[in-house]
Amino acid sequence: MEFRLSAEQELFKRMIREYCEKNVEPRSREMDDKEDGIPDEIIKGLADLGVFGIVIPEKYGGSAPEGEEMAYANIAVQELGRAEMSMALPVYTLLCLGWGFLIAKYGTEQLKEEVLPRVAAGEYFTGIATTEPGGGSDIANIQTSGVYKDGKFIVNGEKVYISGVLEAIEQREGGHITLIRTDPGAGHRGFTFIFIPAKLPGISYSVYEDIGRMALSTGGLAYKDVEVPEHYVLGEVNRGFYLNMEGFNLARILVSAACVGMAEKALEISRDYVKQRVLFGRPLAKFEGISFEIADDHAKLEQVKLYLQYTAWAADTIYKEPGFITQRELSRMVSICKMIAPKLGAEIAQRCMTHLGAFSYTKECSLGRGLRGILSYVVGAEGGYHIQKLIIAREFIGDEAVPYR
Amino acid sequence: MNIIVCMKQVIDLEQIRIKPKTREPVIEGLPFLFGDFEKCALEEAVRIKEKHGGKVTALAVGSPKLRDTIKEALAIGADEAIILIEPIFQDSDAMGSARVIAKAIEKVGEYDLILLGDSSADEYSGEIPPRIAELLDLPQVGFVREIEVMTDNDQMTDTKKVRVVRDMEDALEVVEMALPAVVGVTSELNTPRLAPLSAILKASRKPLNEWGPDDIGATADELGPKALVVEVLSNLAPIQDRKGINYQDVEEGVAEVVKALQQEGVLTQ
Repeated sequence: MEFRLSAEQELFKRMIREYCEKNVEPRSREMDDKEDGIPDEIIKGLADLGVFGIVIPEKYGGSAPEGEEMAYANIAVQELGRAEMSMALPVYTLLCLGWGFLIAKYGTEQLKEEVLPRVAAGEYFTGIATTEPGGGSDIANIQTSGVYKDGKFIVNGEKVYISGVLEAIEQREGGHITLIRTDPGAGHRGFTFIFIPAKLPGISYSVYEDIGRMALSTGGLAYKDVEVPEHYVLGEVNRGFYLNMEGFNLARILVSAACVGMAEKALEISRDYVKQRVLFGRPLAKFEGISFEIADDHAKLEQVKLYLQYTAWAADTIYKEPGFITQRELSRMVSICKMIAPKLGAEIAQRCMTHLGAFSYTKECSLGRGLRGILSYVVGAEGGYHIQKLIIAREFIGDEAVPYR
Repeated sequence: MNIIVCMKQVIDLEQIRIKPKTREPVIEGLPFLFGDFEKCALEEAVRIKEKHGGKVTALAVGSPKLRDTIKEALAIGADEAIILIEPIFQDSDAMGSARVIAKAIEKVGEYDLILLGDSSADEYSGEIPPRIAELLDLPQVGFVREIEVMTDNDQMTDTKKVRVVRDMEDALEVVEMALPAVVGVTSELNTPRLAPLSAILKASRKPLNEWGPDDIGATADELGPKALVVEVLSNLAPIQDRKGINYQDVEEGVAEVVKALQQEGVLTQ
């Protein structure tokens, strides 16, 4: 049993931290205020460090630590969560990593050659477009259709609450892996997972006004007779549902990592503050009402962090040792992380704000950005809080706890 | 151009805590890093290699943690590393360490330039560069903020040279020196690069040699506790005392602060 990071992982972590302390943290407020995306030079700097290439084999321009991709991605995204607490940058990055990993695993050779080197270089965004106006949690009910004709799928439908719409179309370039219904009568066995470059003719978009993570856009995508070449299909036609679940496992691990990173930084901000802020003649840290709260949160966060590391290891191990556990078993572990990390992170950010007092309610302080950003992952985004409970109940209790059966 | 970069791992200074009552630093269990000066020395060596060719060897004396710490040097661009991690090496003072480093350099044999941080980030005594230069009988310059490899080699003797700029605080001194030589650098020299993931993963595949006393021909009399020439009397944080006086007006405040510092004897009249 080995719990510590390897020397290489420690070094990679420190390289990202050093980069972020110098280049990301000082600009985190500006990024949130400007609402104009993540500066190119930050994406480029992280790409130069190999962050976007963590999941991409050397052959396609990446530097994947084969068999440890998720362990490294977990480390990187936690660091980004610490540095950019609104979570725009960590989420932008984790979408590229989680869904980029799926492309590296299941994409056609042509798709991999076309997209992956550009993802690794930080020029190209890859995200996920599953949710529809009718909902996102009930994935088996997705309506967007894809009709095969002459080597292409003709896609029609609408996707909503999609991260990275502007990034994929205007600010940079990119696309979203999208779940489409290709065999209408076959239930969840009639879906295909397909990558759709966001600039294909027939795609229009809208942008929503979010309350947090302001440097990353959220919006809707409408597909009107969009012709998507069949080499963009991931895995097999009509087997997309399972791949989508597999991709969610990867992305949810990394969402949890972003939340853990943010919460860890919030606690450190609070810790440093209560040691030097003097009230009634003694540092705030001397009051148990404060120090015990911080101790509680630290303890809970450490548990999640360790369980997350374990889950990332399990995700890597599935690919190294097929049959080690099933994707469904992994999804139980992943949902434990995704259920706890965002909610705990939001609670920690809020409690830390009470330690810092009125200053924390100003934009000068990063805690408010952290709270606004992380709420996105409590309410939804890669599966909301209650859906994680449903998955855990389904896997632990059994079908008796499943509302859709 | 073959360059040996001597590097010292130091505890992460930002994580040191001071015991409020005794002013003793708490250093147990802290992670090890290379200091900024060392990183600048390595960065310069790698840049020189990238421009003029040759080989960069990282050399370090310290605890077994060096097996991990040294990977950063290999990831940044050293071709090979030599670490000396046996306990006898660690119980040395600056004189003993300089002796170990000089003997290791002699064993490496082929080198044109020895680069190192002018002082270490932890003890900052600045003794190592002149001591190893003396032991190896080489020219040495410290406080170097610029290094230029001179390509107009003296045809007659084929001597390689570098031109370095030395920081004298009030002035800059330009020195040309024949190689081989020892150069101690400061952090003005360059901005060290960060190692990308691909280089980190490849670092483990580069040669990492561990040398003991026998490898460098050192005896117990020359090293460790028996060879100490420096005695550490005290290692405590400075006394901090807050008076808690606030001045609202800047103009008035500055004058008051100066007066207060004069009364404390910190400033002279």
